[in-house]
Amino acid sequence: MTRRTWVRLDNASNIFLAARTDADPKVFRLSAETDHPVDPQLLQEALDTTFDRYPLYHAVLRRGVFWYYLQDSDLRPLVTTEDQYTCAPVYQVDRRNLLFRVMHHHRRIVLEVFHALSDGTGALWFLSDLVVAYHRLRYPGQERPVRDGIGTGGARPDPGPVPGRADAGAQRGGHGAGRTHELGADSFRHYFLRRRPHAGPAAGSAFRREAVPAALTVEDHPRSPGNAPRDIRRGHRRPRKKVYRVVGTRTPDNRTRAVELTMPAHGVLALARAEGVSLTMYLIALFFESVRLSSGGLGTARTLTASVPVNLRQFFPSTSARNFFTTVRVEHTYGEGPDDLGSISRSLEAQFRPKATPEALERKLRRFLRFERMPLLRILPRPVKDLILKLVNRGNNRGLTVAASNLGRVSLPEPAASHVGRLLFHVSAVRPQFCSISHAGLLTVTFTSPFTETGHVSQFARLLTTRGIGMTVAAARVTEEELAEGEA
Amino acid sequence: MRRCTECAVDVEGHWTRCPLCAAALTGEPAPSPLPAVPLNFSRQRVLRALFLTSLAVVLASFVAQLLFSPDLDGIGLLRSVWLGLSAMWLVVLMAVRKRRNLAKGTVYLVVLVGLVCVYWDYLGGWRGWSLTYAVPALCASAILALLITVRVMRIEVSDHIVYSGLTVLLGLAPLGFLVFGWVTNPLPSAICGVLSLCALVVVHFARGAEVRHELAQRLHV
Repeated sequence: MTRRTWVRLDNASNIFLAARTDADPKVFRLSAETDHPVDPQLLQEALDTTFDRYPLYHAVLRRGVFWYYLQDSDLRPLVTTEDQYTCAPVYQVDRRNLLFRVMHHHRRIVLEVFHALSDGTGALWFLSDLVVAYHRLRYPGQERPVRDGIGTGGARPDPGPVPGRADAGAQRGGHGAGRTHELGADSFRHYFLRRRPHAGPAAGSAFRREAVPAALTVEDHPRSPGNAPRDIRRGHRRPRKKVYRVVGTRTPDNRTRAVELTMPAHGVLALARAEGVSLTMYLIALFFESVRLSSGGLGTARTLTASVPVNLRQFFPSTSARNFFTTVRVEHTYGEGPDDLGSISRSLEAQFRPKATPEALERKLRRFLRFERMPLLRILPRPVKDLILKLVNRGNNRGLTVAASNLGRVSLPEPAASHVGRLLFHVSAVRPQFCSISHAGLLTVTFTSPFTETGHVSQFARLLTTRGIGMTVAAARVTEEELAEGEA
Repeated sequence: MRRCTECAVDVEGHWTRCPLCAAALTGEPAPSPLPAVPLNFSRQRVLRALFLTSLAVVLASFVAQLLFSPDLDGIGLLRSVWLGLSAMWLVVLMAVRKRRNLAKGTVYLVVLVGLVCVYWDYLGGWRGWSLTYAVPALCASAILALLITVRVMRIEVSDHIVYSGLTVLLGLAPLGFLVFGWVTNPLPSAICGVLSLCALVVVHFARGAEVRHELAQRLHV
């Protein structure tokens, strides 16, 4: 008898399925660079033990008449060498395979995940457990006893420099040892579907005050002065501005162009602090500047917008590794006031803060959930739903210039911490995007784009190097000429 | 590590020009942390184009049959060859497309071939051979074929049960033909109907819970 458990997809995942295209298969990658060439055998062993603790990662995606759903499977993951281009499609219709892959290349352990399965935070838990398990096998006896008994896995945020301050965002989930990540838990429904206001031990006002409003930031920063412009609130529509959209040459086989910038975290953080803004907003302001500089003139479309994912776990505690985030949109219009980097980043910060409060997010998510639960929509066959979501997504894309995602500062437990250098994070993209993450004092900012052009990355790097930040660049080869040159 | 003096960055990998600004690099190369993966041209796009074109041609040749009346001299042979080829191509297309799920492929095949037969019969002046012989034979053999396939290929119950169920339900259709008197010879329909009823009883008693579980998954709103 085979009666497999199944769960419906959460609110965010449906859009990934509808919005995936050849150029953007909605796959993201997290990698960890260790201090020695990765041993595939040990990695496989580590993967086997980690996999057992994540029932969610056993799931395959299936198509029902009305909705997609995740179903448990008996499949086992196999570690491979990195033989595919970055963020190659994971989910293929009618092919029942696992929704993630683990690969290795030289010193890197690479995890690629289909976004409908998990989000960055959920995948980071998996990767850190995997990396810890691997290093425990590789360096037996190096584990330091940990006071609170946790130390058997789980990315933990560093305690911040200010006592009593909430932790740095991404990892606020209470993830700990031995916890299994069930297939079932859908945090969207848990918090936003029921009629009454969300409950939960940490939803009280004390927690809310403590939780960092700038979600997914590497570090917190001095609170911005309470001058958030009121007109950003819903209900007050400003005249529609023409949003600049980046165009470019598609890569020959639709692969994602990824460029990694590695730099010391403290240097960039100091720059952001000097402007009195969070690192994420500072990086986005830099991104806007670099897009403008590389555009050769914005023309009439002088508004640049960015979509910024916010990890909901920091406000609505959840240990589910499934998707639990939403996005917030920030923008800047050039030629309507001060356009220096500091002013842009402060204006972005002022827009972001009020939108990333638990109350504002809850309002937004409840709206999404209500939409998803509309009776008329529910009874539409899945292909029709996909079409509608595709159109919604296309309309949404029209208003976005770039996207930016920051997973925050991660600290791995021993024995991984002392052997892992930089962590890296990026996502397949339909528009230029950057993803950042920091570990061991190294901030990595990885730019992805469906286009071959790297002008904006070059400008971004130069904006930072002229401010005294040293950095290294690594890029995957995408064009015929680049590949012909090859890696010796 | 190589260095781009224009961007003031160090570059990992054996690049001769800066991946950011294409300026010449100086210094010794360091190994790249990312592999150079050869370009990959997916066959998928070619196959998709081939499938859609084939489907269009097959549909066009079916529609074109309406232009020729059955009384036309010598049309019988020509039409048989033409329709035969089109139907064969259609079957191959469906079989290839649904190769990953044999049970699903079977349902598609039964429906498609059944419809083609009825249409063919209609074009030939409606003698009733399709409903009398072709469709019952098709349904009955599909049920038998599925019985054998799921056993031989060890297909998991949850993977085929919905489609097996559908095939069995389709097998009940010939009973309807009998009731409405659409057949010239009752035997094939009766055999097919009895076979389907037996299969249905077996499915209900042996696999009823699985069917309900599977339907709950697929039909959840």
